[in-house]
Amino acid sequence: MQELVLVQPGRTVGDELEHEAAQADTRREFEARLAECGPLAYRVARGVLRNTADAEDVAQEALLRAYRSFHRLRDRTRFRAWLVRIAFRLALDRLRSGKRRELRDTIWSQPEHQPRGATAEDLAVSSEFQAHLDNALAELPEKLRLVLLLAAMEGHTIDDIAAMLGISTGTVKSRIFYARRQLAEKLRCHANTIKTR
Amino acid sequence: MPCKHYKNALVEAAASGFHPQGDLRAHLDTCASCRAAFEQEQSLFASIDIGLQVSANAEVPASLLPRVRARLEEASAPRPIWVPNWLVLASAAVMVVAFIAARSVWSTRVVEKPVETAVKTIVQPPQNLDPSVGDPAENNSPSHRELPIAKNPSPHETIVRGKTTPEVVVPRDQELLLAEYAEQWRLHKHAPLVAQDSDGTVLAPLQMDQIQIAELDVKLLAEEKSQ
Repeated sequence: MQELVLVQPGRTVGDELEHEAAQADTRREFEARLAECGPLAYRVARGVLRNTADAEDVAQEALLRAYRSFHRLRDRTRFRAWLVRIAFRLALDRLRSGKRRELRDTIWSQPEHQPRGATAEDLAVSSEFQAHLDNALAELPEKLRLVLLLAAMEGHTIDDIAAMLGISTGTVKSRIFYARRQLAEKLRCHANTIKTR
Repeated sequence: MPCKHYKNALVEAAASGFHPQGDLRAHLDTCASCRAAFEQEQSLFASIDIGLQVSANAEVPASLLPRVRARLEEASAPRPIWVPNWLVLASAAVMVVAFIAARSVWSTRVVEKPVETAVKTIVQPPQNLDPSVGDPAENNSPSHRELPIAKNPSPHETIVRGKTTPEVVVPRDQELLLAEYAEQWRLHKHAPLVAQDSDGTVLAPLQMDQIQIAELDVKLLAEEKSQ
């Protein structure tokens, strides 16, 4: 029985087979990184959007975009940084578009997502404080916000973040410092109000 | 309230997360209010860090990776979009060509038909002609016999034909010549029409009796009323 091969105009069967083989290789290589980098894309998106459903959508979209352009990425060691930027940018776009804002984060303030045993920081477990923190985080400049989110993620050292974003460790440290100080300035009054109740 | 001089230093020490050193350390050992303010700042930054960790380390939904893999399958599957496009375009082109061809053939037939009909009308030998005018032997010639003879059209048909087919009136002696030409034309031979000289037969002018109209007897209205 003869096998039918679909060939695009201007291509030979050999070209087509080579193209398919290259696609399969790309797919395999991408899938190897997916398990490691998928959660990272999701967490970056969630850190910006603070909504599970939106973050999942954005993470999916970011991973698909990364896959489509994966063959153009020459330095594959930069994949994590590249994906983080795509996810962060998409999440910001989604946030700005204002769609589904009313659905935003019902889960955020749910008890199972708050630290258990919460050290001595009763303040931090307060959903009211958490809401203020979200708002303050959303008002931070993008550069500071991304660094702060990455620094807060488990397993990311200052060096990792610096390598990921292509900046020096000093820049990472200073961004973290300024970001935390700006947050503290915005939250100080709320913290005092909540504490004095 | 912390001492004004140490306020910024306290905040920066709390933000950096390092233990106070030197002059600030010594002041904190002696100033209770600054120590309380410093503890408050440390507590605030700790709350911020905890809140950030909560948001940054959210549990990843189990559905994320399977969904991404499914979408990757869709994305990497061969999508022969050009094939349906090509087929649609080709079939549309064929349909357009077929339509144009059908229209041109139809319009050619429409043009041909009136001529044929006109010829039929012309070559029809009149049933009530004077036998002395035409030769019956000529009428039996094969070429003449092949010519279709139309029946007398109904009045309605004549009106309809009159709209579309011009009638050609030729002298009686040229009927046969025109019929032969029409036959050739119908067979797409397009033989040139050669005019023949008239055989010199002069048709007698039509003789008609004068119309007789009786004289009208017109009476006056007044007279008629009195009667």
